[in-house]
Amino acid sequence: MKNQAAGGRLTGMITIENLSVAFDGTEVVKNVSLQLEDGEILGVVGESGSGKSVTALTLMGLAPAEAQVTSGRILYDDVVLREAGKPCDKALYQRYQGARMSMVFQEPMTSLNPTKRVGGQVEEVLKLHTEPAKGEGRSRVLETFAAVGLHDVEKVYASYPHQLSGGMRQRVMIAMAVILHPGLIVADEPTTALDVTIQNQIISLLQEINRKQNNAMLFITHDLNLARRLCQKIAVMKDGCVVEYGTGEEIFGRPQEAYTKELIEAVPSRLKKRQTVKASSASVLQVRDLSVFYQEGSNSLFSRNKKQCVVSGAEFDVYSGESLGLVGESGCGKTSLSKAILGMNKEIRGKIIHHSLRPQMIFQDPYSSLNPAKTIGWLLQEPLRAACALDKSIAMTKGDMVAAAHDMLHRVGMGEKYFDRKPSQLSGGQRQRVSIAQALITNPGFIVADEPVSALDVTIQAQIMELLRKLQEEMHLSYLFISHDINVVYQMCDRIMIMKEGRIIEIGETEEIFNHPREEYTRLLLCNS
Amino acid sequence: MKQSGSGKWNKYFVAGLLMTGLAVLLGIVGFFWTPYSTTEMSAAEKFAAPSLRHLFGTDNFGRDIFSRVMQGLGTTISISSLVVLFSGSVGILLGAVTGYFGGLLDEVVMRITDALNGFPSILLTLVIISVLGSGRQNVIISLGLVFVPSFIRIVRSEFIRLRDMDYIRRARLMGVGKRRILFVHMLPNIFSVFWVSVMIGFNNAILAESGMSYLGIGVQPPDASLGKMLSDAQGYLQSAPWYALAPGLTIVWVVLGFSLFGEGIRRSQ
Repeated sequence: MKNQAAGGRLTGMITIENLSVAFDGTEVVKNVSLQLEDGEILGVVGESGSGKSVTALTLMGLAPAEAQVTSGRILYDDVVLREAGKPCDKALYQRYQGARMSMVFQEPMTSLNPTKRVGGQVEEVLKLHTEPAKGEGRSRVLETFAAVGLHDVEKVYASYPHQLSGGMRQRVMIAMAVILHPGLIVADEPTTALDVTIQNQIISLLQEINRKQNNAMLFITHDLNLARRLCQKIAVMKDGCVVEYGTGEEIFGRPQEAYTKELIEAVPSRLKKRQTVKASSASVLQVRDLSVFYQEGSNSLFSRNKKQCVVSGAEFDVYSGESLGLVGESGCGKTSLSKAILGMNKEIRGKIIHHSLRPQMIFQDPYSSLNPAKTIGWLLQEPLRAACALDKSIAMTKGDMVAAAHDMLHRVGMGEKYFDRKPSQLSGGQRQRVSIAQALITNPGFIVADEPVSALDVTIQAQIMELLRKLQEEMHLSYLFISHDINVVYQMCDRIMIMKEGRIIEIGETEEIFNHPREEYTRLLLCNS
Repeated sequence: MKQSGSGKWNKYFVAGLLMTGLAVLLGIVGFFWTPYSTTEMSAAEKFAAPSLRHLFGTDNFGRDIFSRVMQGLGTTISISSLVVLFSGSVGILLGAVTGYFGGLLDEVVMRITDALNGFPSILLTLVIISVLGSGRQNVIISLGLVFVPSFIRIVRSEFIRLRDMDYIRRARLMGVGKRRILFVHMLPNIFSVFWVSVMIGFNNAILAESGMSYLGIGVQPPDASLGKMLSDAQGYLQSAPWYALAPGLTIVWVVLGFSLFGEGIRRSQ
């Protein structure tokens, strides 16, 4: 359709020429040039703050009003959408948004109106740009729902967003984006909030849509592996600049820039060699026939508490000096299990035997795991103070504690100057280092690490994993390493447990699990990542 | 970009600080020294209009209104401070415990605060005063009790928010004692919210104290009080408007000052 409209040209084209975008005089996107043809998927890869989202939002005309285009222009076919020095032309964009270009966002829950049925919301997009006959709108929505792989479309049509799962919501968002067959689809981290198995389905769906509708797709992600699988061309962004631009093979096979190499190196992959730490046969933790329950509705005085079993019959050992990986999708009970092991959940049946003193935990979110009111030095000394208060036989002077804190800070690769800073003055990676230091300063021997790297950028992720391995060797630690990312687990762990719906379905040596998975579910997890 | 509406020394903060500073200073000085005696009457100088001799004029007994306002400020601010101190500390204690532990104690305390909230506050103070009798100390007790529920609620909801934060979980894992978690780990993190509510509470206490004095159930003569002055002055609104204006505007000044101060604290975060 569009090809005809463009006057016999074979391909439509979206061109970004020398685009620079500035906020308050600070350039966050610098001289970015990208070109997209119909039927092509271009991946824009970068870490947080690299300017990839601002580029996409400017292209879509959705950037905040303070964002000024300081150089370059954006062309859709031959129409100039945005030029340097000119404000965003709202009327022009309105004709393009939805009909000729559309966007899929990361978080489907906040992109849909929670008070309206999803069918009506999708139909509204249709009505805004076309005038469907009575009943035609509905049938087109149902058709599109079926095309994006939703089952029982009538029921989905009449559902509210909260009644749908994350994957279904994302499919609805995609239906909304493709219903008018736009020439350009911008997908901003569309799978980041989803589980791996769902992630894979969404990726295949996007591929299929791209093939069928022959539209151009701009795929923004922080995940190099994903970009490699989906995109024909990849642009790597750093600090607002495109540092490398080429086909997937070029980028992965012959990376030109040091940063690209670093990025590729940092991606946990099964192809890279794994370092193993020799484990001894003494166990630090024994779990026997453990069931964990979750209490519901305990807030009211007169209602009977309902107990729900979230983990059942878990049985395993963690040996001294090893890393045991725990893999599963969200809601499978990984976190409940780890909380039970650490004694944070008392609703359990079965046995947990610790052979280490006060095991500690490393949390996922480095922004909520450090007390914002305290300094780094205070935070590092607190575990020692607590230990002294609990056990009078440990006599540590204030000076000892300060020295120990300095030593630990040094061990996690941070300088003295951070001692008096507050957590808010540190970056995510630095916070995670402090968090690790705080967990290790009492030398607990056994650490539960709950997704310790999944909130971090990929290069930082690699550094933190390296740090964890180094500390494991130095301090002879055992890890229970929880993750949804099987590649991270592969790099970190000696043995792996696979968890599904509250049960541990498979446990074994890492190589064994990866090469000869026994369970169908494990196979599914492996081939999806 | 730095804007004047935010940051530590924002306009609200500075204006509030200056206004409350002046009021508190006058109040404190008023305890020890006033330009004229606050009780000495002078038939010759009845209803003198404001002048350099008497800044705010004189009242129906020829007493210097400025001196009485100074003393009234002292009374009002000291009573309000004690009220906020009392209800704030009880609020922190009960709010922290109920918010962190929950359970039966939480249920009981919350139902009691609900019951207290069910009465209009002025009615509740009336009841307490009629049981205890009037007087400075009983005004503090009754207002303190009336203000406790709001502080409990604010502190409790903050503690509920914080108790599931990872850093608090971690403190529990380290084996930090419960009292230390509550008051060393958690308390500093609620101060930003708490100080704002202290400022609001302070304003409400000033208004409530003035209201009680106006109704004659607050502090008793010969203690000067801004509310009592207002009620004395209402018969002379036409003949000596400065008599009512002086205490009235002073109340406005103090309340506005503390409101700005609270807003300034909120914006400085």
